[in-house]
Amino acid sequence: MQFIKESSPHLHRKDSINRMLGDVLIALSPVIIFTFISYGVLALRNYLMAIVAIVPAEIIYVLIRNKIPYDGTKHSLKEHIKTGWKKYQLSNLLSSLVTAAIFAMVMPVATEPGWLIYIALFFGGLFGIVIGKLVFGGTGSNIFNPAVVGMLFAKLCFGSRYIYPSTWYMETGNAVLAGGTPLTALAENSHAGVNSFIGQFSNLSASPILDLLLGRVPGVMGEAFKIAILIGLVYLIVRRAADWRVVVSYLGFFTVVMAIAGIFVVVKIPSVNYFEFVAFQLLSGGVLFGAVYMLTDPVTMPINEPGRYLYGVIAASITCIIRLFGAFPEGVAFSILLANMLSPLIDYPRWGNQAFTKKKALVIFGVMAATLLIVCLTLVFAPEVAA
Amino acid sequence: MILKAITIEDTKGLLGMLPTLHAGVPDRIFIATDNARCPKCDVYVKEGDEVKIGQVIGMRHAAFFDQPIHSTVSGKFVGYEKHYHRSGKLVNFMVLENDHKDEWDPSLQPRSDEEIAKLTRKDFSEILMQNASVGLGGSSFPTYVKFNTDAKIDTILINGIECEPYITADHRLMLEHPEEIIAGIMLLQQAFNCKKAKLCVKSKYKDLKEVYTDFLKRYPDSGIELCQVGNFYPQGWEIAMIKSATGISVPSGHLPSEFGIADFNVSTVVGIYQAIKFNRPVIERYISITGDGIKYPSNFVVRVGTPLKEMLERCGGYKNPDVDKVFILGGPMMGAALPSDDCIITKTVTSVIVLNEEKHEENPCIRCGSCMMSCPAKLQPKLIMDAVKAMDKAKIKELQPLRCIECGLCSYVCTSHIRVTDIVRRAKVIAKLP
Repeated sequence: MQFIKESSPHLHRKDSINRMLGDVLIALSPVIIFTFISYGVLALRNYLMAIVAIVPAEIIYVLIRNKIPYDGTKHSLKEHIKTGWKKYQLSNLLSSLVTAAIFAMVMPVATEPGWLIYIALFFGGLFGIVIGKLVFGGTGSNIFNPAVVGMLFAKLCFGSRYIYPSTWYMETGNAVLAGGTPLTALAENSHAGVNSFIGQFSNLSASPILDLLLGRVPGVMGEAFKIAILIGLVYLIVRRAADWRVVVSYLGFFTVVMAIAGIFVVVKIPSVNYFEFVAFQLLSGGVLFGAVYMLTDPVTMPINEPGRYLYGVIAASITCIIRLFGAFPEGVAFSILLANMLSPLIDYPRWGNQAFTKKKALVIFGVMAATLLIVCLTLVFAPEVAA
Repeated sequence: MILKAITIEDTKGLLGMLPTLHAGVPDRIFIATDNARCPKCDVYVKEGDEVKIGQVIGMRHAAFFDQPIHSTVSGKFVGYEKHYHRSGKLVNFMVLENDHKDEWDPSLQPRSDEEIAKLTRKDFSEILMQNASVGLGGSSFPTYVKFNTDAKIDTILINGIECEPYITADHRLMLEHPEEIIAGIMLLQQAFNCKKAKLCVKSKYKDLKEVYTDFLKRYPDSGIELCQVGNFYPQGWEIAMIKSATGISVPSGHLPSEFGIADFNVSTVVGIYQAIKFNRPVIERYISITGDGIKYPSNFVVRVGTPLKEMLERCGGYKNPDVDKVFILGGPMMGAALPSDDCIITKTVTSVIVLNEEKHEENPCIRCGSCMMSCPAKLQPKLIMDAVKAMDKAKIKELQPLRCIECGLCSYVCTSHIRVTDIVRRAKVIAKLP
């Protein structure tokens, strides 16, 4: 028996980074199960391709980082790998699995030439993990969410070739919608410069809200089934693996902006049902998925409490503005990346206190007011809101 | 886990119910010549001299005060030995051989009530200085300094919170000796000429509430009231206690006396009572010996200067002797881990905790933010850690690590098991550089 010399404190909470990452994987499992039910083998192909791209990249990174330092003698490659492999821990595997699972979920299940999907998945995943995470120094040091980086890279490169096929699960009868999420399909017969899909959303099916909730719309595979995502959200928050502040401020402010935009839409197009409009905005696209699994990544969030509220508000503002007026139909991924970029600024030590001061509240309300002003003015002075 | 730490798991429940045992006086008693606050020391006795309990056998010198050393046993001074001190350093200890007569120094006569009634704040300060009364909660801050202020005091706060897990010494003291504590508080009221006194205890201790609500009925006009405060850690921190008990928040760098508050630990109050009433220094103290590495955790009253090994034998020794142990003097959150069990119980040892070692792998920080939420001093441990890694002195200074009270919560909550408190300590050193 020996006495260990260590500095205080001598107690530690029963908690670990593996538990947190494992919780994210468990929270993802309802969505994974749904994708298997709905897409079957295609979903499995997506997951495997993402794992093939992402997990080895992390392993190679760990080996390179932890090779034997220069000591005058020459070491064989085998020795280097041996010492590096000792540093590969469970947390490395779990974090790359989380990235792979999220990345596979936000990718489509098919492309126009069938083989292109493999390329999109492989290079998207590789770009995401290397440029989004490893070049910054691996777990804990990345600025951007690697899954979002990979998804956007693949989308910008191969986006026009994406196909969202209908499966047996979807009863809508829309055979194939090419080119984007359900939102794009609506955007197709729009006038240039005019917000496209606001008035047309109900053409999707007779009961769009129920279909959206149950995931009976074509699209990227993970974002569809909202009930699974909500189960994951509850699990994450109960297990404290995600910060509820971000989710609440993001979804809350998103709903507020869309509710106010809805008033203008209803005034200009009387045929639109106000509540269906707001519910459609919340349930379509990747809003819920992004808010639950991508925005809550603690590494890319600001670290202080008021900053987390601000972060959610900023992401929600950008999502709303891109959705309502942007050139892209879907703004969640871009808004997450842009908000990620701002989080080091929000953490600036002179402002980054835990205390909620008047100034910080003022900044948050300022961002809110500016967004609402932009949305209201643009909608009021737009020549026509929708067809 | 993204969660503010409010409470720390502990095993107080059972130990708090065990009665305190009188340990008796060992054959050899050890008295430290110098301690953490006093680097220099003069010794007034020679080898072979007879000493009595309470006799001044030396004087410690520190930067702004002198502290007499009292013998805690009657017997013979035989020499010096090196042992571990509470602070974790090897220190010279004076060895006194016990003659088991327990004779007090005849010059220490108790004061009558009339004499005590005439004492002023200055006299209190004088008596406490002669009796080397220090903060017995663990700080070992000289008590008389708190009496040297001329500020008007409105409230006396008595700290019986004992917020660190595992320790129950103060809890037992408050249960077993309420009359001494009340008498001590009344002396303080006299010294500060202040009617209001609050005895702060954790609200989860129902037994203390029962004892003191009944007991205080005997002193209807005393102005002493029981104040139940929160159960969280670090509620026992002076500033957190003042905030909970009175609502005043003392900014860092200010003394509580500037806000009309004087605060004392319960053990200190008993020490003050003994010093004023009987003119005696502290020769005994309550300690708990506990932790999952000890066979039979117990509470003891021990003579100051008892070697710890003897007390450990009384607890049945170590449980699972093949597992490596962490040997802590003080609380598990702030106490020091010693490299050996060869140490001595001094006045300020509140507890001995032996824990089985748990190995934790250190992972990279994932910025969960638990340390920032938990910090009671409202610091930003994660940003301090980044600044220390980058050796950015200007940024470290801006983050004010000197406000840190080293409560250890940031290390306790860390999801990645990083020793954040160590890094903040390093930041404190860097921030002190010009």
